[in-house]
Amino acid sequence: MDIGILRRDGRTDGFFDAAARDRLAVRRCAACAAPPEGAVPSDRDVPPDGAATGAGAEAFLPPDATSCPDCGTEDLGWTDVSGEAVLVSWTVLHPRPREDGSAPPPALLALVELAEGPWLYARLDGVGPAGLREGLPLRVRFAHPSEGEAYPLFTPA
Amino acid sequence: MRDGAAIAGLGMTELGRVYGRSPRRLAADAVRAAVDDAGLALGDLDGLLVSHGLGGSPGIELADTLGLRDLRLLTQMNSFGATAGAMVSYAAMSVLSGAATTVACVFADAPLKPKQSAGSAYHRDAPEWYGFGGMTAALGFRSVNAFYALAAQRHMARYGTTGDQLGAIAVSTREWASRNPLAQMRDPITLDDHRASRWVSEPLRLLDCCIVSNGAVAVVVTGADRAADLARPPVHVWGWGQGHPGHRKARGSAFGLVTGAATSGPIALKMAGVTPSDVTQAQLYDCYTYTVLVSLEDYGFCGKGEGGAFAASGALGPGGSLPTNTGGGQLSGYYMWGMTPVSEAVIQARGDGGDRQAPNDVILVSGNGGILDHHATLVLSPHRKGA
Repeated sequence: MDIGILRRDGRTDGFFDAAARDRLAVRRCAACAAPPEGAVPSDRDVPPDGAATGAGAEAFLPPDATSCPDCGTEDLGWTDVSGEAVLVSWTVLHPRPREDGSAPPPALLALVELAEGPWLYARLDGVGPAGLREGLPLRVRFAHPSEGEAYPLFTPA
Repeated sequence: MRDGAAIAGLGMTELGRVYGRSPRRLAADAVRAAVDDAGLALGDLDGLLVSHGLGGSPGIELADTLGLRDLRLLTQMNSFGATAGAMVSYAAMSVLSGAATTVACVFADAPLKPKQSAGSAYHRDAPEWYGFGGMTAALGFRSVNAFYALAAQRHMARYGTTGDQLGAIAVSTREWASRNPLAQMRDPITLDDHRASRWVSEPLRLLDCCIVSNGAVAVVVTGADRAADLARPPVHVWGWGQGHPGHRKARGSAFGLVTGAATSGPIALKMAGVTPSDVTQAQLYDCYTYTVLVSLEDYGFCGKGEGGAFAASGALGPGGSLPTNTGGGQLSGYYMWGMTPVSEAVIQARGDGGDRQAPNDVILVSGNGGILDHHATLVLSPHRKGA
C-alpha cells in the first residue's frame, strides 16, 4: 500500500517536528502531571481482567488530543516519549485491488500501547504476522520520505 | 392501564443499488410509506426525527419536503449506528410525555454510485494526507475495516475466538437472508465459502463484512392505545437504553472487548421487565460478524469470551435457541444502519416473517455506532407491556 505524501495541517506540528528528529512526541497535561495531594487517578476504564492501571495517571495524551479528559484544559504541551511500546492488537490489511486488478502488498497495522500509556494506531515493520502476540515489545523508528513529513513505524524491540 | 408507546407504521423504499433518487427523496418516500402503512395521513404527524447518515443525507428540511406543518417535534439525530434506536426511544418518550402524539423516524442514505464498487463508498484515498489523522489513514487505516479487525483480533488473542466462529455468523445470517425477499444477498453459503472468501483486514474476510445499500426506512411511533385502532398490529416498545463507554485509547482500555451494549442492554431489559433468557429473538447490528459476536456477550446471552462458541453452536440460525438477524441483517440483507435491525424487528413482531418467522414475544434490537463506541437497545413485542 502506497503511503502517499504527508503534509502538516497546523494542529500537530509538535508531532512532525519531533518525527523529523527521530523522536516520538505526545501531548501532556502539565496540570494533571502534578496532581494535588490525595488526588485519585481516573478509573473509568477498568479492563475485564482488572490487570491494568488507570490511563490518566501520568497525564500523557495521544498526539491528536485537543484537551485533557481529566481537567478539561486545552493548554497541552508536547513531550518526547521513550518510543517503547507493546502490541495491543493487529491486523493484516489487504488493500483494495488496483484499477488494473492487481493487488497491492498487504500492510501490517496495529494498535500499540506506548510505555507512557497512550495508544496509537500504527504500522508495523520488520516483523511478520506469525511473530505477533499481545504484549510483544516494540520500538519506534521513523521513515523519512524524500517528500513530505517523516512518519513512525514500530518494529520488534 | 397506563398507555405505552408502539410502532404503528413501517415504510421501506427499494433497497440496494437504487439510483436516481436523492437521500432526501428516498427519506420522503419512506415516511409516506410508513404513514400509509399505519393507516394515517401525513397531516397526522406532529413529530419528525431524521437520522444523520454518511453524506448527503437529509436534515430537518425534510419537513418542508413533506409539507409538514405545525410540528411539535423536529430534529436531526446522530449517534451513528445507534441513531435508529435513539430515535425510536426519543419518539416513545415524546409520546409518553405528551410532547407529541405521532412521530416519524427516518433514515436515508445513498452512498452507492453507479459503476462504483460497494467498498469504495466507505473508503478514503488521496495522494496527499493532512495532519495526524491523515497520517493514520496514510499508514493504512483508510476505512473502518481495519479498526473492527483490531477489535476482533484482540478478542481472538484474549479468548481464543476463531475465524470459523465468525464464519458461523456469516453462514446463519445468510441462511436467514435466503428466506427474505428484501435481502440483497440470498444465495446460501457454507463455512467453506467463508474460509475461501478474500481477506479484507485479517481476521475479517469479505463475508465478515456488511453490504452497502441505498434507500430509506421509516417508522411511525404513537401511543399504544391509538396504535391498537390503526391499520397494522402495534409493535409495543417495552424498553430502551443507550451505552457510550468512552473507552480512552490508553492503557487499561477495554476497547474491542466490551461494548456499550453492556450498559444499554441491562437498562433496556430492566425497563422492559425481562431478562436475557426471556428474549425470543435478537436483531443485532451486524456491520461485521464480530459485532454480533461481542454483542451477544455484552447482552448476556452468553458469558464474556463465549460469543464464538455460542454462535458456532447453531443458536443463531433457523430453529436455534436465539434466532438472530432473521432478515439477513446488514451482512446479507440490507445496510440501513440501525434501521436494518429495527425494520426486521417490526416485520417479525407483526408476524409477517413468512418462511423466516421466529418466536416474537420478546425482541431485542441492537444498534452500534463508531468502532463499538455507541450502542442503543430497544425491547419490542407484539404484546402490551405487562399484559
